[in-house]
Amino acid sequence: MKTSKKLGLALFLLAVFVLVPVMIAATGRKDLYYTLTSVALLSIGSAGVWLTFYIGRINIGQGAYALMGGYVSAILMTQAGFSFWATLPLGGLFCALISVGIGVPILRLRGVYFAMVTLVLTEVARLTALALPVTNGAKGITSIPLPGALSIGGVTLIPDFATMANPKLAFYLLAVTMMVASYAVLWRIVNSRLGHLCRSLQQNEELAASIGVNTAYLRVLVYAISSFFGGISGVVFVAISQSIYPSSFVVTDSVNFMLYCFVGGLSYVAGPMVGTLLLYFGWDLLTVAKDYQMLIYSSAMIALMLVLPNGVLSLLDRIGGKK
Amino acid sequence: MNRRTLLKSSALAAVASFALLGTAFAENPVLKIGFVGVTSGPAAAWGTSNQRSMETRADWINETGGYDIGGTKYNIEIVPFDDQKDPKRAIAGMEQMAQAGIHYVVGPNVDDGAAAVRPVAEQNGIMYFPYAFPKELYTAPASNAVLGMVANYQSGPAIYKYLMEKNGIKKVAFVAANESDPLSQRDSGSAAAKALGLEVVSDTVTYQVDTTDFTPVLTPVIQSAPDLLVLSGVSPANAPQLIRSAREMGYTGLISTETAQDAAVLQEGAGELANGFISVGGASTAELASDMMKEFVTRYTAKFGEYNDESNTKVYALEYILATIAADPTAIDNVDAFKAKMDTFSAPNPYMKGDAVMQYVGTTSFGQKRQVSVPLVVNEFKDGAFQTMFVAQVD
Amino acid sequence: MEQIIANGLYLGAQYALIALGLTLIFSLMNVLNFAHGQMFVFGGFVTYTVVAKAGLPFVVGLLASAVILAAMGAVAEVFLFRPVIKRSKRDESTMLLAAGVAFFLDAVILLVFGEKQRGVPKILNGVFNWDMRIIMPYDRILIGFLAVALIVAFIAFMQYSRTGRAMRALAQDRMAAQLMGVDVDRYSMIGFALGAMLAGLVGGLLVAVTGINLGMGGPTSVKAFMMIMIGGAGVISGAIAGGFILGMMESVGLTLLSAYGDITYLVIFASLMVFLAFRPQGLMGKPWG
Repeated sequence: MKTSKKLGLALFLLAVFVLVPVMIAATGRKDLYYTLTSVALLSIGSAGVWLTFYIGRINIGQGAYALMGGYVSAILMTQAGFSFWATLPLGGLFCALISVGIGVPILRLRGVYFAMVTLVLTEVARLTALALPVTNGAKGITSIPLPGALSIGGVTLIPDFATMANPKLAFYLLAVTMMVASYAVLWRIVNSRLGHLCRSLQQNEELAASIGVNTAYLRVLVYAISSFFGGISGVVFVAISQSIYPSSFVVTDSVNFMLYCFVGGLSYVAGPMVGTLLLYFGWDLLTVAKDYQMLIYSSAMIALMLVLPNGVLSLLDRIGGKK
Repeated sequence: MNRRTLLKSSALAAVASFALLGTAFAENPVLKIGFVGVTSGPAAAWGTSNQRSMETRADWINETGGYDIGGTKYNIEIVPFDDQKDPKRAIAGMEQMAQAGIHYVVGPNVDDGAAAVRPVAEQNGIMYFPYAFPKELYTAPASNAVLGMVANYQSGPAIYKYLMEKNGIKKVAFVAANESDPLSQRDSGSAAAKALGLEVVSDTVTYQVDTTDFTPVLTPVIQSAPDLLVLSGVSPANAPQLIRSAREMGYTGLISTETAQDAAVLQEGAGELANGFISVGGASTAELASDMMKEFVTRYTAKFGEYNDESNTKVYALEYILATIAADPTAIDNVDAFKAKMDTFSAPNPYMKGDAVMQYVGTTSFGQKRQVSVPLVVNEFKDGAFQTMFVAQVD
Repeated sequence: MEQIIANGLYLGAQYALIALGLTLIFSLMNVLNFAHGQMFVFGGFVTYTVVAKAGLPFVVGLLASAVILAAMGAVAEVFLFRPVIKRSKRDESTMLLAAGVAFFLDAVILLVFGEKQRGVPKILNGVFNWDMRIIMPYDRILIGFLAVALIVAFIAFMQYSRTGRAMRALAQDRMAAQLMGVDVDRYSMIGFALGAMLAGLVGGLLVAVTGINLGMGGPTSVKAFMMIMIGGAGVISGAIAGGFILGMMESVGLTLLSAYGDITYLVIFASLMVFLAFRPQGLMGKPWG
């Protein structure tokens, strides 16, 4: 069992880091770089949402943090001259910090109440971005430079994106590296004492509190990690589009983050990744249906829910013979 | 058994007819033109009229033997991509266009999408024709975007000036939806009005796009007693409601906007209360529309059941792309040739009566010719139809 | 001042009616119906088609909206929500389903009714003007009263009819109601149908005043969520209170804050979040919904 899992992981890493670029180079389908980069970044955001599901909270506010992270990076780069590589963790940390402030009061809410408040949070983030002077309001921030070179101690680790022959590949590698790292963190959390405590929260919060789990601290911690994920995915999106507007991440994005988790499956660490891949790619493939694209997409989603209400990955359970 | 033969024969017939169609079309090479815009969800109206204009025109060209470029007749194929008004999707759409070898794309429809696709378009050698107004898209060093319509900072001053001279307006108020595009347009409109010496009595009121009752929104605006109420960047959906609310509250001054509107929607939503409403359109009015424009409207209506007046401006981008390529056939897969041709390009405007020309403009606003010259036709709504108030040109 | 209150009441009446349907569905099945806004839009388009295209009276349009939406709600419950609720490990899975239905209805509306804003001719002409202190068109007043009448009728139905009582029992304690012999499946279906019907009726009412378009669905759902949060999810009086409070907040906020620029809705949303931080179950809700 253990070895088969290791083998699977090795295969997965081989696929994303080597096979995909090789396949793309062989087939010339360069547009897939961006699609897959998007999937990787969005699945980082969904990983955060999935983590809040893990403590029994439905999070429909990840778009707010993606937007926030994006703005932090854009502002630091254009107005304070920061390097992209510095803004990447800073954007995430800023989101984590803000999420602590927001999370302390709202994490007391549960069920649909928490869901709806987070939904409103996305709208609050958009309206704040419109109203603040530092975000340049409705005009957004444009002409953001590409990520520069990253060098530590005089050794250039990553060259300047602007000088690269293929920045798409660089963005792809950056995104999948981040994705792999995020899911490693996620996996580590789930399989640690923290994960154990989270499960207890998901099942019965009062009971968990009564046996001495510091539920309030745990909730905020998990929410902060989740928001960090949202923030860094926003930062990279901004670097790719070299622009950000208050409407760059909206309620629809927040809802999508949540849907990715559902489609993949809430009981599987890889769920959000699979869900993101399916829904995002599904939409792109359905472009051929033209006028009926939305109709087919939504019908497929409904059908999926009817056939596999516990997510696509629940198929594995069935195959695995868990009945 | 019987049914099976029936199925077989009908399948055969279908294949045969497709094959026939195939041969009929195979005579001409195909020129693909892309469209990246929003055709589903809340803002579907914007992209839909766009895509439909392009498809109508393409069908028309193909039906009449194709478009002549350098002696070869090309069939035009429109490749649409629905970006769901999401800038992240718009990038994916542009990448798909690049993959399909497309060099000319119409869209996106909004500011954030147009800004987001810029890196992709520039890396892949794509000229794109957005319907978004931010100046940095069209000013150097940006050079691949061409504004597909008249910007509000160009039409606004013309309208205000005309109304100052003709109606003696002195006080003007602005309302806008709290979204990027309308707010930007409000700010530039307000600045333009001040520059003309008008008194701006209210320009801070905003509304959510899903507002179902505009009376509370407009109450403070009407109290400031403007002579002209400008609905900045108003969507065709909100316009009739705003007009109706303002009129029902007893507002008697002028109302205008700088975006294109649809007469049927205004008539349904506001009826005679919309009379006198000033908006900007293409060559739609009876006095200006050429026979070709009239045929376009007929074909559009036949194809999609109902015409949309917004298409009066949206028909132009495709026409410009094709005419410019025809003027320099090497531009068909070389956007540098296209850019070079833009500076000198000039052709008769087929959609307008008289001797109007199609040419690229924008030197005043952007410092380079990065805008299609659509006739700036300022309309007045009257009993279900638009009437021309005046016509101006942008330079 | 009078004008602000009148505006708030009118808005509140229509909001409350939207929130009622949503809260009913939520209380019965613990489903947060993301598609509520789309059902509202669908109802509006049905009325539009009947009145403007077929030339029938407005009342017929309203009835058509009610019937069609009720049928749609019943079908959605029986064939979609019921099986998923039965087989899913977690309650929240219905959210994906509801969102899928919302996308689906959006697509159907676009294909069937088109992308344009639609409205029916004014059903009443003239404007009520009380000394310039309250200005309100007659059609708006009529729609406002109709909305209030529908709310009253709904409350009476829930309070006194057999079906209403059964649904209230179901909302309070599903298990107990089932043990007491309430046909849970049947009343879940009726409840969903009723909720959808209410959404359709508001759509039908509003198409006469403000018109309707494809884009109103999603934002309307979000607004309805806010209302039931204010009042307390799953509580009928809460939905009504939430609707009127949000209506008043918009009316007052837009007037008071108009001088400060684009922050009205930001203030409304932010104060809502602060309110919920202090009172997580809303005004009248059961704790933890």
